[in-house]
Amino acid sequence: MANNTMSILFASDSEGHLNELTIHRTTASVPYGGRYRFIDFALSNLVNGGVTTIGVVTRSNYNSLMDHIRMGRDWNLSRKYGGLTVFPPYGLNTLHEVYRGKIEALYSLRNFISSKKEEYIIVSNANIVCNVDLESIIDEHIAAGTDITVFTYLTDEINSRRTIITADADGRITDLRFAVGSDKREQLVNMQIYLCKKDLLLNLVENAYARGYVDFEKDILLSKLDSLDIRSRRIDSYVATIDDITGYYKHSMDLLDADVRNELFYSHGSILTKVKDSVPTRYLENAKVKNSLIADGCEIDGTVENSILFRGVKVAKGAKVINSIVMENGEIMENAEIKYTITDKNVKVQKERRLAGYESYPIVIVKDKIV
Amino acid sequence: MQTKKECLAMLLAGGQGTRLGVLTEDVAKPAVPFGGKYRIIDFPISNCVNSGIDTIGVLTQYRPFELHQYIGNGQPWDLDRLNGGIFVLPPFMRAKSGEWYKGTANAIYQNIDFIDRFNPDYVLILSGDHIYKMDYDKMLENHKKNAADCTIAVLNVPLEEASRFGIMETDAENRIIDFEEKPKQPKSTKASMGIYIFTWDKLRRYLIEDEADKQSSNDFGKNVIPAMLRDRQRMFAYEFDGYWKDVGTISSLWEANMDLLNERSGLNMNDHNWRIYARNSAEPPHFIADGAKVYQSIISEGCVIEGSVGNSVISHGCQVGKGAVIEGSILMPGATVEEGAEVSYSIVGWEAVIGSGATIGERQKAAGEGEWKIAVVGPECRIQAGGKVAAGEMVSK
Repeated sequence: MANNTMSILFASDSEGHLNELTIHRTTASVPYGGRYRFIDFALSNLVNGGVTTIGVVTRSNYNSLMDHIRMGRDWNLSRKYGGLTVFPPYGLNTLHEVYRGKIEALYSLRNFISSKKEEYIIVSNANIVCNVDLESIIDEHIAAGTDITVFTYLTDEINSRRTIITADADGRITDLRFAVGSDKREQLVNMQIYLCKKDLLLNLVENAYARGYVDFEKDILLSKLDSLDIRSRRIDSYVATIDDITGYYKHSMDLLDADVRNELFYSHGSILTKVKDSVPTRYLENAKVKNSLIADGCEIDGTVENSILFRGVKVAKGAKVINSIVMENGEIMENAEIKYTITDKNVKVQKERRLAGYESYPIVIVKDKIV
Repeated sequence: MQTKKECLAMLLAGGQGTRLGVLTEDVAKPAVPFGGKYRIIDFPISNCVNSGIDTIGVLTQYRPFELHQYIGNGQPWDLDRLNGGIFVLPPFMRAKSGEWYKGTANAIYQNIDFIDRFNPDYVLILSGDHIYKMDYDKMLENHKKNAADCTIAVLNVPLEEASRFGIMETDAENRIIDFEEKPKQPKSTKASMGIYIFTWDKLRRYLIEDEADKQSSNDFGKNVIPAMLRDRQRMFAYEFDGYWKDVGTISSLWEANMDLLNERSGLNMNDHNWRIYARNSAEPPHFIADGAKVYQSIISEGCVIEGSVGNSVISHGCQVGKGAVIEGSILMPGATVEEGAEVSYSIVGWEAVIGSGATIGERQKAAGEGEWKIAVVGPECRIQAGGKVAAGEMVSK
């Protein structure tokens, strides 16, 4: 019963290394894929799966997130019952402190969580790009009587922020540990999406909070592996957990692959996002475009190859955009050239300028800058 | 009791638009797609919203389902309002009778009660078959300044074309002296754009009189306006000089789409102060593949382009296969052109499929306005692989 499930999304990932891209915004509102923000995937998966009571917890810089989700109407979350509730930082306790970890945050949301009529809850980070059939995963969880379902995926992108899962043949998790330097090969990794009964979650969180614990994975999951039935639900379709610039670049470029696009955008319902009423993109006489993903509202008179253009980007005559990501309202002027470059919103690259990074180390130009 | 509205708009959207042939077999003309992501009706509705008019009645009759669904609660145009908003008004039964809308004036007559609820001073009458951007508020100011009973928006057209329009003869103050529908010898070049502002109590009276006249065909252009002129009511022309196009024929619909590709046409859609709003579909950005070629075209979201596209308008969700060549054409939403097909000077309806290697339409050198031979493949129509549709031919499913 999907509509018997609510959700809490964490908009900020304090551990992330998205650096320049999160100076002005939360992780959840980092632009991705030409017209989306990370949180669009989490919100769309929930809504498409029938979960329509959603709390979004922010930590800092939440202005861009508020501007993006507004009242949730674009996800059909502007509702009388449930819908979207955004919790700004400092709003959680009387001490006016920002929460330290998920345990504190969930503890301070206990009244909100328990006041809702739903019986189950999904707790998730908002930097996970995937399109999953939540409704059937929730049904499986309920039918199997699992205590906690942990969403996992196989990946060789291992960094110190990942927790590695060991599960037996039935999916029962037997071990959970933080990745170390020697973890290079493909492993089963925790997506940091958890599904369980609300009462169980509140109980675990209260007990952990009372003992001063901070870390959800270490202090709750790891310590309960024996006493609770905690299971891994491996997602085999496309999953990207994006928490550094190299990963951001790589997983953006994955979208140039038709199979990835089909899995992400056309498998279990649409990915919804803020509607901006941009005009369609205009290609002029000298446009030369190949292998690129291009959003509405662009004007292209130059060369674009292996790149992603967000809404309202201008590429002037003679300009070249190669292996790059140009975010909303970017402007690449006449005869300028960018390669392996990520330009944030409203960046202008002036005439004849040249910028080049490397695939493993793309250059990032911060929002609103003029090069 | 509703809040009083100074001016409300009534949008005539019930016509079939027979000259659009297969495109209006299943939908009313105002619901026909335009410009990659819009419908024709988005233009008058967006103009209203941008002009500060927040109460709109949309009169529907022919094939209304698509239009009703598209308009919904009006949210895409910011018309989900507590007071006012957008109202779909199909014909309805009364206690003793009930009838279809017999003509444009009768459609308004049948909705007098609706209009009276808002107790307006003025009523703006619009139609759903023109592409243009216009500030109705300026026209209303003009109407008030003239203390007019009726103001008709007019466009200066070339004299040789004037006999295709309703032509206004005016005095030095722009007061209308005479009105002739499609005159053989036009006395002026001021063509009616089908946009009227009436002072409501005056129009109300004329609608009731017109309804009582059994000889009347209950039409604004043929009956109501001539009657008001005969009575020497204060009627003024309001001159408009922006882009305006009647898209009532295949050729003109094609031309208006092509005008989007031409910076000098005067049809600038990318104006942040005068946005045209539309109900958006949730589709990813479009993808231009390796080996594709795109120039002088507009392409909307959700498309995958693997072939060549030139001088064309590609709506959202279209697929163009490898080696396919699209030239001077319009693909409506969700159309598919398979590998190696050639589509030239054509309109491909929504969800239509052009089989691989098929040939649709043919390339043409310059033709006069309205004289292009545009091939039309109807909505949801499937053209077999290797099939052929000749220039100017129209096929349906």
